[in-house]
Amino acid sequence: MGAERLSEQLEQIVLKRIAEDSLVLPTLPSVVAKALEVLKDPDVSFKHVGTMIERDPVLAARVLRMATSAAFAGGTRKVTLPEALTRLGAKSVRTLLVEATAQKVFVSRDPKIADSMKRVWQHSVAVATLSRDVLALSGNTDSEAAYLAGLLHDVGKPVVASILLEFERQMTEVYNRPFIDSAEWVDVIGRTHRGVGVALGEKWQMPEQVTRCIRDCAEYDNADRASLVNIVCFSNSLAKKTGIYAGNIDADEVDALVMIGRSIIGASDEIIKTLTRGLKERLANLYD
Amino acid sequence: MATILTVDDSRSVRTIVAKQVRDLGFEVEEAEDGVQGLSKLGEREYDLVLLDVTMPNLDGPGMLAKMREIGNKTPVIMLTSESKRSVVSNVMKIGIADYILKPFKPEELRSKVLSVLQGEGAAEEVLAVSAEAPAPAPAADPAAARVEAGKQFVDVLVVDDMENVHKKLRGMLPGHVTLNGITSAQAALQSCRQRVYRVVLVDTEIPDVDSAVLAQQLKVLQPHAAFVALALRSSNDVLSEVRGQGFDNVLFKPFSQDNVDDFLSQYFDNLDLLTAEENVLKAAAFTGRPERVDKYYGRVAETFQSVLNKVAAACFEDVILDVSAAPTTGDRLVKFLLAAAEQTKQVGMRFAVVGTPELQKILNSYTETKEMRFYGSVQDAQAATQG
Repeated sequence: MGAERLSEQLEQIVLKRIAEDSLVLPTLPSVVAKALEVLKDPDVSFKHVGTMIERDPVLAARVLRMATSAAFAGGTRKVTLPEALTRLGAKSVRTLLVEATAQKVFVSRDPKIADSMKRVWQHSVAVATLSRDVLALSGNTDSEAAYLAGLLHDVGKPVVASILLEFERQMTEVYNRPFIDSAEWVDVIGRTHRGVGVALGEKWQMPEQVTRCIRDCAEYDNADRASLVNIVCFSNSLAKKTGIYAGNIDADEVDALVMIGRSIIGASDEIIKTLTRGLKERLANLYD
Repeated sequence: MATILTVDDSRSVRTIVAKQVRDLGFEVEEAEDGVQGLSKLGEREYDLVLLDVTMPNLDGPGMLAKMREIGNKTPVIMLTSESKRSVVSNVMKIGIADYILKPFKPEELRSKVLSVLQGEGAAEEVLAVSAEAPAPAPAADPAAARVEAGKQFVDVLVVDDMENVHKKLRGMLPGHVTLNGITSAQAALQSCRQRVYRVVLVDTEIPDVDSAVLAQQLKVLQPHAAFVALALRSSNDVLSEVRGQGFDNVLFKPFSQDNVDDFLSQYFDNLDLLTAEENVLKAAAFTGRPERVDKYYGRVAETFQSVLNKVAAACFEDVILDVSAAPTTGDRLVKFLLAAAEQTKQVGMRFAVVGTPELQKILNSYTETKEMRFYGSVQDAQAATQG
């Protein structure tokens, strides 16, 4: 079987598993799932949420670290978990919980994909940050949704990569047959990750506009200029243009997306400079 | 005068484009498809082509390809309702200067037409990829942004959920410094879309708001403004912390008049405390509280040497220093004039002072200054030094 044919078959298998709802997707940890559910209540008690989150010490430490950062008043005074949650507010806590869970999806112990998945995560954080900043240009003020949409726009990639690893092991170890090369790996991931990402977004009960971004953000929607899809599409192209990306990119297509985005979003050159100025340095602390 | 060719199969689009281009003072001609467009390009030279993508007979990409084939390098802006990246990527490869998506705002057409005619670059050059790119200047002149955007200019935006903070700061700022107080992130974003600010102050403790993120978002809308964090003295190095978050500076709460005055000096004192016109240097008026006079003279003295060097470089023999508007209380002015005279002597120039009669009396009362060349007006000083 030729590599191209194998690549097509793999794509079909992944898409079939999604259609049949038989794709094994990462689940939200129970602590996160429960906390997200409770946080939907506008009168939520942060003491109650704190009791849930403290069951996961890593997550609790992350909440405390964010709440004591300079952005949230900073300082050296120690704060309790409920105080930290109150300081952050429900929206930021929700984003932090999803971010912490998503980050784990991008961590692989397999050296074949570990590095590239780490870079995809860094790209995702860049797109999330840019999306939140670009949002300021539109009338939409839901910056947490923009951040999540940017963060999760490539969340299908590590899942597809894991599936491909599983196939590769079967082909090479069990059947002793050659597998597709790395260029085709990238190709299969590129063609299938959006469907997998949407399935994951739905499983995690992400807002509809977030899953729409995962599905559609490869192109602009010129019928709705202020849409989150356009914001994520533009941010994605800016992150690639700035060099924060994993894998190969078509430089001409990235230039085209930046150029279209300047018009569709209404971003002047001055604004684009402000968005991308020192981006790598700003993100350096956000990856871990 | 530049001449622009608009190629579009829609008469209404051509009419709108032609009107807006004429309003800019350019000549415009029209073609309704690629064939007509090429024919017009064969008849005369144009400075810019505004080109649609989808047209009968010969579409935009087809016309563009033929133009480049025959060596026609006229800049082209695609003006189209096509936003597929593959289509735009293809025309970019053939060579376009910019892209406008229909329906377009008149200001977008104006700015891109002007930008291309002035030879400025498009998408590839706009990224600020260097981390060393300078932060906003402390007292960056927002005039350009003001004129361009036609927005209302306000000096200070305070984003703090406590209204008392706005009130306190308002009470400590001079009347001529305008201030908007905003209590929520959403309202701040809205305000930054509508106005131009010189300095944006963002509280680090707004409930439910990540101040660093909010500041970055506001910065997108206010690229010329300086961003200052409003923070408590909660650690030894708050300044480093807030700079790490993307702020330019910090103003501590609760406010002290000294801190507010320093803030004013940094962002609002006329940076041109000492202006030069040919060989006449003029010290700006002092408008602060009396106890700030030392700081005023400190800054004037700091500026003096560099302004003096410029005058010396222009080969003038005399420097005329006009201090009519400078405060004369205490001995600060006398000390400054002595230092300025010495610096002038060191660069091989002669020194003259213009000031009030009160200053003349003061200078006459000191042995070191009574011989200083003094004049009651700039004109007198110029007449004397030229004679």
